[in-house]
Amino acid sequence: MNPSLKLGLIVFIALEVSFAQVWTANVALIVVSLMLMLINHVSFKRLLYLTLVPLFFSSTLVWSLSLRGSASPHFLLVIFTRLFVYVYMGGLFTQTTEPLTLTRSLEQNAKLPSKFAYGFLAAFNLMPKIKTEVATIKAAAMMRGQVLHFWSPQLYFKVILAAMNWSDQLAAAMTSHGFIEGAPRTHAQTVPLVARDWWLFGGSLLLVQVALFCGLP
Amino acid sequence: MKRWHIRDIILVTILAIFMGVIFWVIGPLYTVLSAALAPFGLSPLANELLLGIWVMAGPLAGFIIRIPGAATLGELLGAVVEMFLGGIWGASTLISGVVQGFGSELGFIFTGYKRYNWPTLVLTALTTTIVTFTWDLFRSGYAAYHLPFLLLLFAVRFASVFVFGGVLTKLINNLLVRAHVLPNATH
Repeated sequence: MNPSLKLGLIVFIALEVSFAQVWTANVALIVVSLMLMLINHVSFKRLLYLTLVPLFFSSTLVWSLSLRGSASPHFLLVIFTRLFVYVYMGGLFTQTTEPLTLTRSLEQNAKLPSKFAYGFLAAFNLMPKIKTEVATIKAAAMMRGQVLHFWSPQLYFKVILAAMNWSDQLAAAMTSHGFIEGAPRTHAQTVPLVARDWWLFGGSLLLVQVALFCGLP
Repeated sequence: MKRWHIRDIILVTILAIFMGVIFWVIGPLYTVLSAALAPFGLSPLANELLLGIWVMAGPLAGFIIRIPGAATLGELLGAVVEMFLGGIWGASTLISGVVQGFGSELGFIFTGYKRYNWPTLVLTALTTTIVTFTWDLFRSGYAAYHLPFLLLLFAVRFASVFVFGGVLTKLINNLLVRAHVLPNATH
């Protein structure tokens, strides 16, 4: 399915599920997501992680709600399954979508301005460098007997300085390679958006509406 | 009003990645804290205590980049990174990202993107707390809690957002101002 449409679908369903209180629909969404992940060969380890995490957090949430609140068993069941829906749908999306394809699709299909698409890409490809930079800053501070935690302003300060430096250089590099903001572009690789994508999108959305609003418990 | 240029876009994305990595790194801390508080039925408090860190990308991006939409975009991109790294809230991370970012953005909207000082930070913390709390009333079923506990959650959340999104952001901002890297900044 087209990445932009898939993203839209998943976010929209997650939004609806946050307000709806139909636990059977939640279970159906969980089963469908799980089956799709199995079809797409998501690793067993990943699936285990995607199951244990919501299991723990749903349990603590339900426990606190029953201890400190006046929630009905039905509502507790809704809350319990809701977290699984979020995590399974998020897992399905991230495990079946490449960030690069998503960005290309957002630019070509969702008409995101190309300066945003290429700006995001440029920065996302720095991810390993950003991680190394954080480690370097911490190590350098340690050599001076200074321990930096996630609440230390100096850590953020140094990272922000590096970020400013890099963004200047990257922007200059892109300009010198002929990137012009707002200029029309051609695409070496196109992400197709075909009728089948729209049918899948509309069909899934319709099924979810039926499940949510036909009076299921 | 300033417009978005490629440099600002790269900068906000790098900041968001950095914050996304931090969101993800404190995940285990959140887990341990929830587990420790869970037997007493207090596990939502873990969420409230740490929420300030999760919403920090918004005010930080808003303070550094100073273009309308910076706070929302910073927080949303942080959420995208967190989701791709495998955060604990899955697909709803993206919605939370927009909600939290917009919560901070409101603070900047109310001050017209003109003043970047303490009152703005306090206002930002307040709007972030109110907007995200409303969202949790629905998403996490907070509406079902008894009122005193609900008020406690709200107070803890505001304190956390104020400390991380307010005090820490201001301290970082002060360092940047002293280094003369922020445009037309005042103390």
